[in-house]
Amino acid sequence: MYCIILLSFGSIQANAQRNLTVVGSSWNVNPAPITEAGQNYAGTYESPSNQILLNAQVPLLLASGKVSVRFEANPTWHNALKLAIRRTGNGTTVCVLCAITGGLTYLPITTVDTELFRIQAVLALASYSNIPIQLSLSGVSVTIPAANYQSRVIFTIGPI
Amino acid sequence: MKYFHYILLFSCIIFPLGLSCQTTGSSNLSVNLPTIALVDIEPMGAINLNFSAPIQAGMPIIAPTVNNTKWLNYTSAVTANGTNRRITASINRTIPGIAIRLLTGPPSSTGAGVLGVSAGQLTLGTTPIVIVSGIRGAFTGNGANNGHQLNFSLTTTNYANLSAMTSTVVVVTYTILE
Repeated sequence: MYCIILLSFGSIQANAQRNLTVVGSSWNVNPAPITEAGQNYAGTYESPSNQILLNAQVPLLLASGKVSVRFEANPTWHNALKLAIRRTGNGTTVCVLCAITGGLTYLPITTVDTELFRIQAVLALASYSNIPIQLSLSGVSVTIPAANYQSRVIFTIGPI
Repeated sequence: MKYFHYILLFSCIIFPLGLSCQTTGSSNLSVNLPTIALVDIEPMGAINLNFSAPIQAGMPIIAPTVNNTKWLNYTSAVTANGTNRRITASINRTIPGIAIRLLTGPPSSTGAGVLGVSAGQLTLGTTPIVIVSGIRGAFTGNGANNGHQLNFSLTTTNYANLSAMTSTVVVVTYTILE
């Protein structure tokens, strides 16, 4: 007699892709007005430490992922204005053994994708919510033509 | 003997739901840099220029030494297509027989940007004259020893018009404009 045990199970698994969402309001830098003849702007400004919040997910099947960052003019920027970015915390996660690493010191943002931090999934989906991100703007000066400058910081999650 | 053969068939069916995923996101930022036009003189306070009487009859009165304690400071921010700025100077009154002269020095090494060019030594009058021109986005630095050194001197122009006087105040007005 053969006992055939047929075990069939279906695991409903979401599309096995990394996922990234960005929340937070625009950062409108407001340099203090110059009121004394001869002076220049302070030059460097920092956003709140949680100006941007990232929600990032790496399925266990994919094991790991990295978040990269770049910027683009939107529509007018000046090349004397320099942007930098850093992660100021880990956000929240229920995955005890998962890991988020890198990006805790300011990294210059260029027009080319540069790795900001990595996520490692261990034994479970690595899902991090509200990863706090801070921005820095330097190079603000009266020697730059007076104008309203705008840019867009773009985050991308992908394989390491 | 009965034995049981357990054949385990694992049928693992994975049903991908094909939920939409997002791999990029963005955040915007902006910074507004307004136009600026500021000028002042450092340090504050008046200067005194006094002629001295000669000690020998027949000699002319002795002109005061040049006063170079004042510095011209400014901050300017213009648009990319904006017009160059200039700084003018004028006095509120003239003194008969006396010329008030101003020599504006070149910009000091402090500051940065497109600083102005001095017009050299000029005689001040009640009509504004350009003492520095060609200013664009620039700052001189704040305080004495920053910006353009101002050298004031007095000279006689017509002895016949001289009159003895004490504590005659002359106000010099500086204006930055396009």
